[in-house]
Amino acid sequence: MGKDPSIKKVLILGSGPIVIGQACEFDYSGTQACKALMKEGLEVILVNSNPATIMTDPEIATRVYIEPLKLPFIEKIIEKERPDSLIPTLGGQTALNISLQLHKAGILDKYNVRMLGTSSEIIERAEDREKFKKILGEVGARAPKSYMVRAFEEGVAKSSDLGFPIILRPNYTLGGSGGGIAYSLEEFQAMLLYGLNESPTSEVLIEQSILGWKEFELEVMRDKTGTFVIVCSIENLDPCGIHTGDSITVAPQQTLTDKQYQDMRDEARKIVEKIGIETGGANVQFAVHPETGERVVIEMNPRVSRSSALASKATGFPIAKIAALVAIGYRLDEIKNDITKSTPCSYEPALDYVVTKIPRFAFEKFIGAKDVLNTQMKSVGEVMAIGRTFKESFMKAIHSLERGGTGLREVKYSDQKIAYPNGERIFYLAQAFREGKTLQEVYDLSHIDFWFLEQIYDLVQMEDQIRTSDLTETLLRSAKRNGFSDVQIANLRGTEETSVRLLRKKLNVRPSFLQVDTCAGEFQSETPYFYSTYWSVPETRPSSNIVAVIGSGPNRIGQGIEFDYGCVRGVRAFQKEGFRVAMINSNPETVSTDYDTSNELYFEPLTHEYVLEVLDRIQPKGFCPQWGGQTSIGLSEGLIKEGYKILGSSMDTIDLAEDRGRFTQICRELQLRVPLSKMATTLESAYGVANEIGYPVLCRPNYVIGGLRMEVVESDEDLEGYFKRNAAFISEKSPIQIDEFLDSALEVDVDLVCGKNWSIVGGVVEHIEAAGVHSGDSMGVIPPQRLRDETCEKIESVSKALAEKMNVLGHINLQLAVKDDEIYVLEANPRSSRSVPFVAKATAIPIVDLAVKAMLGNAPDKVYNWKSAKKVSVKGVVFPFNKFPEADSILGPEMKSTGETMGRGDDYAEALQKAFVASNVRLPMSGEVFLSLRDKDKKPMLKMAKELIQMGYTLSATRGTAQFLGDHDLPCVIVRKVYEGRPHTVDRIRTGKVSFVINTTSGRKAILDSFDIRRSCIDYSIPCVTESDTAEALLIAIRKARTEKFSVEAL
Amino acid sequence: MNKGFLVLENGAFFEGEWLGGKGRAGEVVFNTSHTGYEEMATDPSYFSQIIVAAAPMQGNYGVDAAVWESSKIHIHGFIALEIQNTARENTWIKTLQKHEVPILHRVDTRKLVLKLRSAGTPWGALVQAESAEEAQVLAAKLIAKNKEVELDWAYLVSRKAVEYRDGDNSSGPRIAILDFGCKENIIRETVKRASKVGIFPSRTSSREIREFEPHGVILANGPGDPKEVKVAVGTIKELLGWKPIFGICMGHQLLSLALGGDTYKLRFGHRGTNHPVDDKLVGQIYMTSQNHGYAVDAKSLPPDVEVTHINLYDNTVAGIQCKAKKCFSVQYHPENCPGPREATILFDYFFKSLT
Repeated sequence: MGKDPSIKKVLILGSGPIVIGQACEFDYSGTQACKALMKEGLEVILVNSNPATIMTDPEIATRVYIEPLKLPFIEKIIEKERPDSLIPTLGGQTALNISLQLHKAGILDKYNVRMLGTSSEIIERAEDREKFKKILGEVGARAPKSYMVRAFEEGVAKSSDLGFPIILRPNYTLGGSGGGIAYSLEEFQAMLLYGLNESPTSEVLIEQSILGWKEFELEVMRDKTGTFVIVCSIENLDPCGIHTGDSITVAPQQTLTDKQYQDMRDEARKIVEKIGIETGGANVQFAVHPETGERVVIEMNPRVSRSSALASKATGFPIAKIAALVAIGYRLDEIKNDITKSTPCSYEPALDYVVTKIPRFAFEKFIGAKDVLNTQMKSVGEVMAIGRTFKESFMKAIHSLERGGTGLREVKYSDQKIAYPNGERIFYLAQAFREGKTLQEVYDLSHIDFWFLEQIYDLVQMEDQIRTSDLTETLLRSAKRNGFSDVQIANLRGTEETSVRLLRKKLNVRPSFLQVDTCAGEFQSETPYFYSTYWSVPETRPSSNIVAVIGSGPNRIGQGIEFDYGCVRGVRAFQKEGFRVAMINSNPETVSTDYDTSNELYFEPLTHEYVLEVLDRIQPKGFCPQWGGQTSIGLSEGLIKEGYKILGSSMDTIDLAEDRGRFTQICRELQLRVPLSKMATTLESAYGVANEIGYPVLCRPNYVIGGLRMEVVESDEDLEGYFKRNAAFISEKSPIQIDEFLDSALEVDVDLVCGKNWSIVGGVVEHIEAAGVHSGDSMGVIPPQRLRDETCEKIESVSKALAEKMNVLGHINLQLAVKDDEIYVLEANPRSSRSVPFVAKATAIPIVDLAVKAMLGNAPDKVYNWKSAKKVSVKGVVFPFNKFPEADSILGPEMKSTGETMGRGDDYAEALQKAFVASNVRLPMSGEVFLSLRDKDKKPMLKMAKELIQMGYTLSATRGTAQFLGDHDLPCVIVRKVYEGRPHTVDRIRTGKVSFVINTTSGRKAILDSFDIRRSCIDYSIPCVTESDTAEALLIAIRKARTEKFSVEAL
Repeated sequence: MNKGFLVLENGAFFEGEWLGGKGRAGEVVFNTSHTGYEEMATDPSYFSQIIVAAAPMQGNYGVDAAVWESSKIHIHGFIALEIQNTARENTWIKTLQKHEVPILHRVDTRKLVLKLRSAGTPWGALVQAESAEEAQVLAAKLIAKNKEVELDWAYLVSRKAVEYRDGDNSSGPRIAILDFGCKENIIRETVKRASKVGIFPSRTSSREIREFEPHGVILANGPGDPKEVKVAVGTIKELLGWKPIFGICMGHQLLSLALGGDTYKLRFGHRGTNHPVDDKLVGQIYMTSQNHGYAVDAKSLPPDVEVTHINLYDNTVAGIQCKAKKCFSVQYHPENCPGPREATILFDYFFKSLT
């Protein structure tokens, strides 16, 4: 049969910016699919608004469009490109929704584009809960009892029929956004209101609770002849009640009998057939009653899903690639298994290992957000680990979280922490056993299957043995087979990691590296995809001419997909230079952990011990830490001490950047200004420091990533508050750093590459928000729009000088501030940065490739000038506030965004407009603007207020701002502050009277007072800007949007 | 911790932890299925075999007598990386211990599987011993003794007397099943569709079967080398063309021999629940449950027999049909248990051919 010859040009839609519930796993799937289709000789047109992705690299598709994933933009691309087909199932819910819209708007028909693998009817049957329920009934499957509710009163009436607790699921939302579990009528009413509003169709499914049931997922694949395979079964350790993205999951499933499993498999097959999925991947979620075995279907995704990436990594079956190939007409048996190279893809992978996924949370980033898990996804990243047994893989996964490598660390026990799911629950489970709780007691609290509890119980028993018995070879081997890290063993025995390591070496207790082969050893396989285990005999396998690239581990706020971009490009660049590359990483969502990316893939925790074992095995020519962010940089010193060569900037350069004293010294030598900075350990000394520097000051604990606990402090009173809130992090040993805060300064990011005697500036990104907003959270633009040319040139020259002085080899990212034409150096990171992919795409300079040339001592292939880019590119940002109902959306020095977008335009306005639209900010064309401005912004914002009126908006404000505007003859409605009684500001926002809000605040108290304003905007999806610069940018974008003129252009 | 060993015929050994049972010899085979240990152990086709579970975690979900595929445990040993071993009441370990089946875990099963894959499935023995040397001596004796047993394994596990069961479908056909080690689920699937079922011992004559007046004959699965099975090929030859025949696994091999074909031993066999088969009878590729060490040689088949099913892993014969003689057979297990169920459609296919 083979591929359908009528398919020549395929449109693929990505999933846009990284948000909670839809992260870089779709970069992985999209990239894989594009590569496969390109190999088939098809023309591939890719659209995605996310510049941090690998898929938007020009070489991944025939033409890449970094444009908003919104109807008018996609229509224009279709009009221009005239693809004959569209694969809508690879870009998550975003791509699926847009594809539906394209169909409904008649655009697909108009341009003769056909959907491959699915149809709008199929998508609706799977996504519309009522239709889906009907189908379940037709195949003899069951859904939990439920009602689709379209009005508040209706919901309240139906709730009595279901009994509490009740689960709420708003229709058509991402990652369960707006959903949750209500235990009482009161709670139910509040959640229903919120959910109705979150759902684009104002529908909420209210559902019988299956809390405590066991939860499973099947990843399935089908071709057009009906060949059906289960790629992977996944079991959730956490029973129902927690979003599966937030659950600890295990593959393959562990606790179902063959009969139960086959019943589930049959049901999945029937559902997929009945829904009508012609080809491709899908995912079906089930719940099973722990005692009766009764089974219900929770939901089904008719597309490549979050779990597909995990399933692909867990089994070696590349779901997205195969989905793309079956979509263009291939049968599964016509496609060869990449891993064995001898068997066909019409098979079900057999695993001879266990895979554990653990989510990583970021509650600490959102002051006020509670660590409570429910059906709304909250995790920002995940790790995966492979071991021969559950215990080995589970423990390796815990180490992979990069929370200190101490495994099941001790915590202060409480029953609540087991009974109410939270991000730390596994640690409390272990603690419960340490404190003598029985399996039954823990089961009664948690409803986690006995089998899993037994495993954790065993691990706690093992702790005891390690603590009290002689560390014989047998015991040491046993500990390692149970996944205990050297650090953990050392802690239990009161010794050092190194001495455990030396003992292991002496006793030859070393890991072996087994292959992920898709077939449990039944066939010879060729693909070098490895995991370490202590269950087999170690063998060394030095590879010739190989270098190791260390990845960035689980996504977290501040370290995400942007770093994986560097890793993947870096691997390719090394390969181009004639090297073989070993990739080491623990993140299943990424392109870097595709077995196709590197020459050898090691799926391992990124801790000293595990990385070192890989290096010991492959004996690389060197390792490169420049693309893995702080994770890999942090590992460098230890690896160098073990005799491995660092590629690129030396340890001394890294140290120079991190040691404030040395760094300031160098800056002084170059006559560069550095903000004044001093340490303090007590409040008294801090008063002194702060007053010496002068308020406002920037406070932070000494060692931080992503600006954790960093705050702008404006007064002695504020400072006292800061000390109180952060008491746990301030001590004699860990002082806080107090920096001069450059109020209203313009910030820039500079990414450059330095070789032995050359350096190239990749680009200067001008931040749109002034200093004080974390660079990851500010919008940015290339080329700069406000910097004077000579300042920009000066920035380039001082950056080069500084990099040279630091002896940088490879990447360096500088954060600078410009105030009154004076340049301040805020930070230097001698590694790849968050801005590298954006800069590379904005300027078309292959920064990563150049960095590899630099590391290898080679010269650049040609001259590059970032200023020759013709387009203006704006980086937009996306925040997860809608997932954290208690969190504040105000921006500050602490990073909170999860993802970024890129708007490309012929001018600044067009680029801005696209960046906002791509970041899901609605641009309100008319209506009322509510203003709440801090004093220092009032005067500068007058001009804007006037403009708003000229553009036809009306203004409203609270008394102070309104009076000020009135004094300047600007008509403004006065609205009550919340404490002034109702109807107040928040009521006005909630009733839909306000189109957008400009709310600038500073000072702890003012921020607290205005919290409700920002929160209600988030809840009702009303744009709310908290910086005057952003407001200006928004206005420019709106003005542009009103012209309804825009262009689309491939990279 | 008790030490135990798997010793192979050539003296190679694998050390592990002994969990009970009595030392025993058998053919060492591996199965890649993740679930279904209880079904496998009670499947008579595994008679005299030591099973190595390639999937590392076994015994997780306990035991359930309802899923037994015969009245006893037929395997001669069970090896896995880790078997659930806690204070629960009904565990897989306790069941095996009760039946004195030797159990070895914490064995480097990956290495063992790779060895079996490349060197074939040898004889071996599971023994409890303090040292490898001791184990080798014990194992050699057990292996030698095991080689003396009757080679017609089908006869050893088959019923010795006819058993009749009433079917669930009073208007359905009467079916004779020739038992070479018949799995219970073949009988269950037949009972569902038939009015009366007669299950006959492996050495039954064609006359006895004719006397039962069946509308169709099922040749069941069973252990061992098909060429060692006595009487059956003659019986089948005499039944050919009389009534429709459906062969499964051993039944498929014996039918092929009766039709004039030949069988051979595979290097390491097919044992698992993920083997793709291209079924040209129903026009579908689907996943199957497999357990066999021998296969039918396609080249040996007479011209009126067509190969209708192909194992897509290695393109070996997975099924044949001879329209002239109204018979077809498959190498795999349409009755599954354990494994995927798509192939149960073949029971429907067979019963349809009877009307």
